[in-house]
Amino acid sequence: MVSRARDKRLAQLNQGAAPHAQVRHAGTTRFGPTLAVERFRFGNGLEVLLCEDHSAPVVAYHTWYRVGSRHERPGKTGLAHLFEHLMFNETEKLGAGEFDRKLEEAGAESNAATWLDWTQYTIAIPKQQLPLVIRLEAERMSHLVLRDPQVKSEKEVVANERRYRVEDDVEGSVSETLWAMAFQKHAYQWPTIGWMADIEAFSTEDCQEFYRTFYAPNNASIVVVGDVTENALLSRVQEAYGHLPPSTLPLEDVQPEPPQLEERRTVLSKPTATEKIAIGYHTPAIGDFDHPALSLLSEVLFGGRASRMHQSLVRQLEIASEVRVFVGPFRDPGLTEIFASARGSHTAEELLAAIDQEIARVCDEPISSDEIERARARTELSLIAGLETADGKASTIGFYDTVLGRPAAAFERLEDLSRVTASDLRRVARRYLVPRQRSVVMVRAQNGDKKEAAE
Amino acid sequence: MNVQSIDLGGRRLLIESSPALPLVHVTVALTSGALEDPAGKEGLTRLTARAMRRTGGGLTQQQLDTRIDSLGGSLGADVSHSTVSFNGTVIARNLDAFLDLMIDVLARPGFSEEELALLRRETEAELIEARDNDRALARRWFSRKMFAGHPYARSVSGHLTTVPTMTAGDVRALYQRTWTRENVVLSFSGDIDAAHARASAERLLEALGSGPRLADQVTDPTGPRGRSLVFVDKPERTQTQILIGGLGSHPRDPDHIALHVANTVLGGTFTARLMKEVRSKRGWSYGAYSSLPYDRHRQAFSLWTFPKASDAAACIQLELELLAAWCEKGITQRELAGAKRYLTRSHAFAIDTATKRVGLAFDALIYDLPPGYYEGYLDHIGEVSLERANAAIRDRIDPEHLVVAVVGTAAEIEAEVRASIPGLSAHEIVAHDAD
Repeated sequence: MVSRARDKRLAQLNQGAAPHAQVRHAGTTRFGPTLAVERFRFGNGLEVLLCEDHSAPVVAYHTWYRVGSRHERPGKTGLAHLFEHLMFNETEKLGAGEFDRKLEEAGAESNAATWLDWTQYTIAIPKQQLPLVIRLEAERMSHLVLRDPQVKSEKEVVANERRYRVEDDVEGSVSETLWAMAFQKHAYQWPTIGWMADIEAFSTEDCQEFYRTFYAPNNASIVVVGDVTENALLSRVQEAYGHLPPSTLPLEDVQPEPPQLEERRTVLSKPTATEKIAIGYHTPAIGDFDHPALSLLSEVLFGGRASRMHQSLVRQLEIASEVRVFVGPFRDPGLTEIFASARGSHTAEELLAAIDQEIARVCDEPISSDEIERARARTELSLIAGLETADGKASTIGFYDTVLGRPAAAFERLEDLSRVTASDLRRVARRYLVPRQRSVVMVRAQNGDKKEAAE
Repeated sequence: MNVQSIDLGGRRLLIESSPALPLVHVTVALTSGALEDPAGKEGLTRLTARAMRRTGGGLTQQQLDTRIDSLGGSLGADVSHSTVSFNGTVIARNLDAFLDLMIDVLARPGFSEEELALLRRETEAELIEARDNDRALARRWFSRKMFAGHPYARSVSGHLTTVPTMTAGDVRALYQRTWTRENVVLSFSGDIDAAHARASAERLLEALGSGPRLADQVTDPTGPRGRSLVFVDKPERTQTQILIGGLGSHPRDPDHIALHVANTVLGGTFTARLMKEVRSKRGWSYGAYSSLPYDRHRQAFSLWTFPKASDAAACIQLELELLAAWCEKGITQRELAGAKRYLTRSHAFAIDTATKRVGLAFDALIYDLPPGYYEGYLDHIGEVSLERANAAIRDRIDPEHLVVAVVGTAAEIEAEVRASIPGLSAHEIVAHDAD
């Protein structure tokens, strides 16, 4: 019945519509126990993913462009991120600052993010304001004005963001060094924010070319979650985006990273009180069969204060003030990044030895079923807690659809995790957490704390 | 708001049921916080809360965390000057077992000597580690100078000189004095019905001891006199962290909402004056905001930017000019209308989940907000006139009485920064690793 009613509504929408504006239903995916994601595809390639959720009178409207720093090239790093900034500037119909002013007056919360594989624009609005947001997002997808003064000013802002996140931040600069050392061919080697020299050198023409190439309906998905109905949404999206032509997307030119055959290591000196260490192991892409097992293994080792690493490094040995992990959720193989900060006069070498010892244990000794269950429970809580708001749901749907093409993959991962065994954990530990496949950055403290050093 | 407020023998319980997700949030908070730290024991309230979290029911830290994790739960302790809150979240099917653990933590902490010694050493390491965070350094020194002589100047985390002196006796004494059923507020939200929440709250309260109600003996701070600069000297800074501010207001002040609207025009949004002038026109700082937070007493009003080192002096000069213009000329009718629309409409995101709605009601109790503050919030915003907004700025904010806190490399920019502040009456340079 639902299908027949939808067919009828879509037929009405498509009646007399130009080919680019024709819309069709492209599938339904269950999203958790009570919700569903409906996928629609327009003639110009634009995808719309709708998850109706009438629990609050708000709507999350996220636009995901399938362009990130992986689509850049040496000498032009940071362009995707700079462009994310420029998207809040002038359009043909809106003067400088008008885009944000209109959103603010509508009570919207808006933000954006760029990463290795994608760029995301998020807007959450009271439901009555949805038509305005659709118009504004369609306007900046196709009618952005890029002139020298805006580009110059935004380059300065991004340079300041880089100083904040990298130059004056020990962890930021360590992480950047680690990725640059670990990747020698693949585009993941450069930071999403870009090298400072590249940021400073961008021209307005660089930005215009990037915009024409990547900002088009056939390179975007719109994720809408909240108190909205299908028909009301589709008719407005059709009106706002239906006239936009698709672009000719370039063939992606990313080189696979060759296997790393020996450990790489470097030492930095920073104005910090204690030594630090970052270790990056080459690990598989998020869509790989081993990724869920590796995530679960990371929970066992690093998740919370009952984890093996915390118990060993922070509590028993008392050589670290903190230790944590990040498992790369990327389309291509990335890094599992471990970071630890030493306590007092303890050294990065001591941290590495203690981390190695715990990794050796999971390679040699079976992990108990209790530990595995605990890691699963932590993962489940994390997923559910991220779905409380419309914005959280939209981010989860958009992320998994952009990197895996499956909007409900978060729930599929929970099922995958339930099938992971102790044998899987041992296998992935032995396969991926091996010294020859890692890069190590050690940080020496320029001003070691005298009191602690005396202990 | 759909929050139920229930009186349990003088104790307040807040509940909002929502089956939207199979999660339950539980908060148990004290109506006092780090202001209870005895002199010379700064950080004791925080250390006590963390020790409770690690020794509840006589269990070890690892036993407690293992059990909480296994239930699909999380339990954190947050400490501020005015409150200590234990915030728990758990997958609904495991709520009762999770509450048993919370009761152990809140009512039956073991405070073992071994764990306290570990915790003291961990805290010392964290205090040293915190020096890596330039923004936190700026906030710490700003507060210290802003509230000099007032308890708000005291550090919630403590100092390297105070933390090692904290004994098990200190911790037990503070716990027994503060963690009584007379001094707690509770809330439940999410996938739990009212009867279950009430029974759970009663179980929690019954387990706690009894004692006198803590009295708030803190007076309102008076704020700084004249203009002063505290420069936190740290090597190799390519960028600065800058806080400029004076005394703010409390929601009990009749003009608080009017000032809140006026502050939105100055630096509360992405198109506010500060962002427009500092970021959009000049590209000097990634962010440029002003804020007017509330606590149980008047807190600080402040401007926050982080320009590169060579732009710091010019940025401070510009901020002072913008502040002076805001104070002298006020805001315009158009700006007022825009700010009111923004605040009214975006309020939807302060109340879009049961947990957020309960959180606002909770704040109203903890921070002694006037009756109906959030229930009438939209009406109060709507009633703010241009005259009231501009009068609130004139009456509350004095640009001649400010603290400027800067984190940067003194040898490179301190003199220039000092020269950028007209009428500076005091200035000092402190080392970034000073306790």
